[in-house]
Amino acid sequence: MRKKTKKESSQGSGWKNLAPRSSRKPASAAAFRKQLQTAGKLGLLSLCLATLVAGLWWFDKKIDSSVDPIEFTGLGAPVNEVIFQTDGVLSKRWFGNWFGPMRSRSLMQLDIMSIRNELEAEQQVKEVTVRREFPSTLVVEMKEKQPILVLRLRAKDNGVQDWMVAGDGSLYQGVGYPSSSLSLLPSLAIHPSLLRLNSDGEGYCKLEGIPRIAPLLNLARKDYPELYRDWRVVSYERPDQSDPGAHVLVRSGKVRSIRFAPRDYGAQMQRLKYLLRQPDFRMKSSIESVDLSHDRSVYAKI
Amino acid sequence: MSKIIGAVEIGTSQAKALVGEVGEDGSLNVVGMASRPNEGMRKGEIVDFRKAAAAVHAALEEAEKMSGTTVDSVYLAQTGAHLDGQMLRGSAFVASSDNRVAVDDLQRAESEAKRRQPETGRSYVHHVRTPIVLDEKVVEDPVGLIGKKIDVGYWSIDGDDQAIRSALHVISNYSLEVDDLILSSIASATMVAGPDLRRAGSLVIDLGAGVTDLVLYHQGYVAYTGVIPVGGDHVTGDLSMGLRILEPYAEKLKIEHGKASPDPSDDEEDVWIIGNKTIGDRSVSRKAISDVIHVRVVELFEIIRKELGSLLDANELKGGILLTGGGSQMPGIEQVAGKVLGLPVRKAGFPPGIEPELAQPENATVLGLLHYGLQDHSLPGQKKDQEQTGFLEKLAHTFGIG
Repeated sequence: MRKKTKKESSQGSGWKNLAPRSSRKPASAAAFRKQLQTAGKLGLLSLCLATLVAGLWWFDKKIDSSVDPIEFTGLGAPVNEVIFQTDGVLSKRWFGNWFGPMRSRSLMQLDIMSIRNELEAEQQVKEVTVRREFPSTLVVEMKEKQPILVLRLRAKDNGVQDWMVAGDGSLYQGVGYPSSSLSLLPSLAIHPSLLRLNSDGEGYCKLEGIPRIAPLLNLARKDYPELYRDWRVVSYERPDQSDPGAHVLVRSGKVRSIRFAPRDYGAQMQRLKYLLRQPDFRMKSSIESVDLSHDRSVYAKI
Repeated sequence: MSKIIGAVEIGTSQAKALVGEVGEDGSLNVVGMASRPNEGMRKGEIVDFRKAAAAVHAALEEAEKMSGTTVDSVYLAQTGAHLDGQMLRGSAFVASSDNRVAVDDLQRAESEAKRRQPETGRSYVHHVRTPIVLDEKVVEDPVGLIGKKIDVGYWSIDGDDQAIRSALHVISNYSLEVDDLILSSIASATMVAGPDLRRAGSLVIDLGAGVTDLVLYHQGYVAYTGVIPVGGDHVTGDLSMGLRILEPYAEKLKIEHGKASPDPSDDEEDVWIIGNKTIGDRSVSRKAISDVIHVRVVELFEIIRKELGSLLDANELKGGILLTGGGSQMPGIEQVAGKVLGLPVRKAGFPPGIEPELAQPENATVLGLLHYGLQDHSLPGQKKDQEQTGFLEKLAHTFGIG
């Protein structure tokens, strides 16, 4: 037995203190392959985790962006509240009549995608969002078309039928508009040939020229209300910027005919306002015509 | 769920790796095993790290491939002349007022026993518990018994830090951890000497290529371990020098024609060194081969007899002396050992249930590593180290990167 210089300690000195912490440089080809294998497995594990995280993120995003909440629950409680919001004139009562009785129908039984599609098929409706708010609330958010003109047509019973003209040229029979607001809208006068029935015969196709004149009407209503209030009838001829003969014709109370070119409405309205403020025009109760369609020249007939 | 464990023996002639699968019922199935010639060792110690690592890593890779799985950690056999053993004893008085022994009392005795450190530059490799004594009476489990003083003993083996570190580095370089270091002789004895033999008292001698490991059991507990820096390679060296032949031919002659003691029937018989009778081949007498081997074998067992001294007591070794390891396959070696040691010696066998191709003396250590590692060697009342059961550990284990 060898002689030893023993020392006392509270703990024995074990081999585990000698274990190398890491050994990065492989000493053999087998160790190199093992390290590669381990690194590959780590990479695979990282890839799996990344895929899992990305999948969860995508799933979360999809749920957030989906109009239809994914139905994880059962039939759930019956609908006891409907929140109806719109930027137009349709009311919750209108929606109640449109939808029918809600009683005994649970939130999960409602096909909200179908409700949305059917609401968007309504002529007056532009865009709809329908969602469930658990436990028992149905939320309907709606954007309506805003009429810019009224088209009065003769009905089959020899009466008259007013059609609202939206900014995109679509024609619809408005619901819920107060007569006071409708009375402020100018009428549209167009050649009958421009009016074409829908394929179902229930309505009319969009009027192609309206999107060209809608900016003029919006501008006048917003920035020149004193002039706009006097506008009675609006008509147009080929309102295409590339057509030199294209024009928009407005008949108002004071000026019997105002002719606009279908471009740069801001400048034309400024010129009209300036013109009508001139003493000669202000003094007149009626003016025959003003033609603003010739760039910087204005032709007026008093 | 089954558990995969590994065992590695960095032997002087061969590096061996073994992969075992432990079933839920505790049964052990060997699912992969491989060995590779190791040129990086001399007398049980690593002298060329890269060569030793290449052999161990190749064996591990092959064993993993054979098992179709990977191991995260291994039990590592430890041998070499640098190892030294000593008995450490600790005692503690029973703390409770009713003199009933508690786990804490045992732990205090254990701490007392293990508090002595080896000299600078050496570390403990293995603590093997000896019987627990309660008031001078040996007991299996003293917890709950009435007594005043408890004594715990450990046969503690320490080794040179540099040699241990080299062995650990070989394993860590293959991205594995070492679960435990186990003395080679104890691992071999676990395999070839069952509990009955150990209780009866027996000496197990593992005749390796570089060193000879020995462990002596008294009453079922380790009483002595030792490493003799003489092994089969010395016999080969002796043959090479004595017969003036190259070592590979000497090794061939030793394996094919070697006997531990001269046989009178060999007097007239010659054997060819190379075997193909071409230019350079020549014959030597079988008696000459046996004479050379006999001298070295006798010397080895005399060293063992001297080292064990009074421990070689026939009354204490009723289980006899068992020879294992590659060297034990040499014909007549048990007779020579018996003559020198003065006690009955026999070749060790394996317990039933082990496949014949595995149940070879040279595999005793690596097989014993797994069996010893799976057993609970903690003090009564203490739990074996718990497995990692966290989610990340399980996930890492699933992906084989734990």
